[in-house]
Amino acid sequence: MEEKLVPVVCPYCGVGCRLYIKTVDGHPQGIEYADDIPGISNEKGKLCPKGNAVLEYLLAKDRLKKPLKATEQGKFVEISWSEAIKEVTERLRAYSKDDPNAMMFFGSAKTFNEPNYLIQKLARMLGTNNVDHCARLCHSSTVTGLKAVFGAGAMTNTYKDIEEANVIFIIGHNYAETHPVGFRYVIKAKERGAKVIVADPRFTRTAWFADIFLQHYPGTDIALLNGMMHVIIKENLYDSDFVRRRCVGFDDLVKAVEKFTPEYVEKITGVPAELIVQAARTFATAGKGVITWAMGLTQHTHGHDNVRLAATLSAICGYQGREGCGAAPMRGQNNVQGACDVGVLPNVFPGYQAVTDPERRKFFEEFWGVELSGEIGLTIIEAAHAIDKGKVKAYYVMGENPVISDANANHVIKALQKLEFMVVQDIVPTPTMEFADIVLPAAAMLENEGSITNTERRVQWSFQGAKPPGEARPDWWILSEVGKAIGFTGDGARGFNYAGPEDVLREINACTPQYRGITPERLKANLAGIHWPCPSEDHPGTRFLYKDRFLTPDGKAHLAAVDYRGPAELPDEEYPFLLTTHRYVGQYHTATMTMRSEALKKRWSEPLAEIHPEDAARLGIKTGDWIKVETRRGVYPIRAKVTRAVKKGVIAVPWHWGANVLTNDALDPVSKIPETKACACRVAKISEEEARKLMEAVPKVIPKFEVVEG
Amino acid sequence: MARKTIFIDFSKCIECRACEVACEREHNGRALINVFEWEEMAAMALNCRHCENAPCVEICPTKALYRDEDGAVLLSPQKCIGCLMCGIVCPFGVPQLDALDRIMMKCDLCAHRRAEGKLPACAETCPTDALLFGDFNEIQRMRRKAFTEKAIEKAKKAERIPFMGL
Repeated sequence: MEEKLVPVVCPYCGVGCRLYIKTVDGHPQGIEYADDIPGISNEKGKLCPKGNAVLEYLLAKDRLKKPLKATEQGKFVEISWSEAIKEVTERLRAYSKDDPNAMMFFGSAKTFNEPNYLIQKLARMLGTNNVDHCARLCHSSTVTGLKAVFGAGAMTNTYKDIEEANVIFIIGHNYAETHPVGFRYVIKAKERGAKVIVADPRFTRTAWFADIFLQHYPGTDIALLNGMMHVIIKENLYDSDFVRRRCVGFDDLVKAVEKFTPEYVEKITGVPAELIVQAARTFATAGKGVITWAMGLTQHTHGHDNVRLAATLSAICGYQGREGCGAAPMRGQNNVQGACDVGVLPNVFPGYQAVTDPERRKFFEEFWGVELSGEIGLTIIEAAHAIDKGKVKAYYVMGENPVISDANANHVIKALQKLEFMVVQDIVPTPTMEFADIVLPAAAMLENEGSITNTERRVQWSFQGAKPPGEARPDWWILSEVGKAIGFTGDGARGFNYAGPEDVLREINACTPQYRGITPERLKANLAGIHWPCPSEDHPGTRFLYKDRFLTPDGKAHLAAVDYRGPAELPDEEYPFLLTTHRYVGQYHTATMTMRSEALKKRWSEPLAEIHPEDAARLGIKTGDWIKVETRRGVYPIRAKVTRAVKKGVIAVPWHWGANVLTNDALDPVSKIPETKACACRVAKISEEEARKLMEAVPKVIPKFEVVEG
Repeated sequence: MARKTIFIDFSKCIECRACEVACEREHNGRALINVFEWEEMAAMALNCRHCENAPCVEICPTKALYRDEDGAVLLSPQKCIGCLMCGIVCPFGVPQLDALDRIMMKCDLCAHRRAEGKLPACAETCPTDALLFGDFNEIQRMRRKAFTEKAIEKAKKAERIPFMGL
């Protein structure tokens, strides 16, 4: 009997907490807190409820153990790995011969950097840039917005800087619930005397800790941010020296925010004018400030502009390139940052090198030894629309669940039904799998090893803490087998011959400038990880970005001047309420993992729609009543919770259980993110019987499959 | 004797319920600490207070409840008869009846973890340090110190009131 403590990274959110898995002969027996590793993102080994329940979903009874082939929709027969790989490669090869752009590849923020690198390499070597992942649905606005202002789409600072800040402005981000361990640093800063400003359409648990709470209507962020900058500029509270030396576009900004007086902003946002003034003064005069945001800012048709304005606010106050300062987008999944970094985006190669740049393309053509497409590929939502038009015919989905996660889910389901061929690679049955032709069983993150990049750009190595069930295999192994079977058998980077994830990471080191010095050997020796950019093997990594210059071509921050735009769909007579979505601390995204975890499932068992007491009284709704929320795209039955946490006229619904049948798939013109955070809806009280009937049309988080054993 | 216990800082609880999940994992699926919400404005975790003059220990007819060297009130399962008296006299309503084993159950400050030199799981995991494990008087001293430091810092920053008319 051999007892071991295996250091792993928590497979849930973007904080990237370290913990140990206690194993006996390779079998997990329990977890232990990593309180003895200095410098990790979860100081003293702290974990949230999901982190504490991390082993439960690994033991789920319905884990996929063998490759499956569909006989008809939702009915599968078990096949062998060699049959499965053969089937997949034959189909992919045929499409790449006819029209490579008929294929769409989904990477995953829920797996390591290595398989993500491999899936985009596979797509691109097959001749298409149609490769994307769920960052599209969460932080694509951050990537494009921050790139436009500062030159790189990543958090500019670390948790340490949040702890050292004097003011923390949290906008569209329920920090305490979405990243509980990260919120530790906000509380530590507050204890030290820092001020906390929270802007959110809901009175969240984060708002409990606010010194100033701004409750604006969903989708009015542009007005709020412009209003704050109006005050800061009018009262001369901005850092004029920083603006002069390091920013361009200030005059345009002054003109753009001219009309956003606190009184005008109050009319749009519903936030009292004096609070806007107070928040602006508090933020600008603190000396060291951090602005953090998440989905509340990004998931809008103006998400790109929202992020640019947040970055602009931070820049004009001079809160960049110093300790205790910065702009901090909080990533939702533990490897969204990494999946973006290694090029699982339709417009860039690894390291954010544009596919349209002939020089960069030439480098990769030589590196991978094939001709590459210079045409920007499709994003997730665009792909679903391209299926309708018959342009996309095949999907390769690795660890994604578009049926629950994509906006306007009913449309996604219709589109998936039209696909000719779909491969889904995942650890458990998902509602997306119902439409699959081939299912490939993958090992969970804790069951294999690789590198992960957390929200702070911290790259860490996670070791193997459990054995995969049945014939489930690591993602990198599956993709390398597919690549080899297709015929990419060249040496080194020109083929898919890998002995392990270490080989893949060395290849990433060779072609990604930010990761150049982040070798597997260094990561394994240093459990606290390395912050990219790390240009060489003797470089210690970079805590905060932009010390001397920004990464834009001229080295300056390009301030954004934006006029007000509201949500794409506003309430009207037919749909009088404004719908927004949120999440629970104990549930995670499409709930595939958390709903298989008993400790979490019993505490956060069902969604509750939040409605203001006055609206509820008018409609005769009491807490616990069944209601139906209806939009132009779908109906969702849910029980109500009458609360003052939301404003009058606003309905808030948690999205883990399939509420995306309601949301709007109108896209931001730049980041292509769908507007899942604001749309018009109507509400009516219904009977439990009717609710059960309506429930049948909503996609099930845990689907029932028929599998014939092979 | 220094008595180690769990100090609860209500002002820092974010109602994430990590303590409940951690406790449940350490105690065979039973959470012996609970988090309660107050009017959607604040939350607080509550576990056994391991009272100095514990009514549960006083009343237990079979002496199943006793105190260990850290001062924690523990339950000896072999002696417990499930008479519920400890639960009745507890002002916090802490002891519960385990329906399966038909004896009482309560927080043991993770006796098995303390034996290995570790903290109780709830305090170890609490993301915001709302739960602290240690000697009560020492924790209070640290809080007084932190308060004074903050007050001095504030006084340093405050504007001097100019002497008027002197």
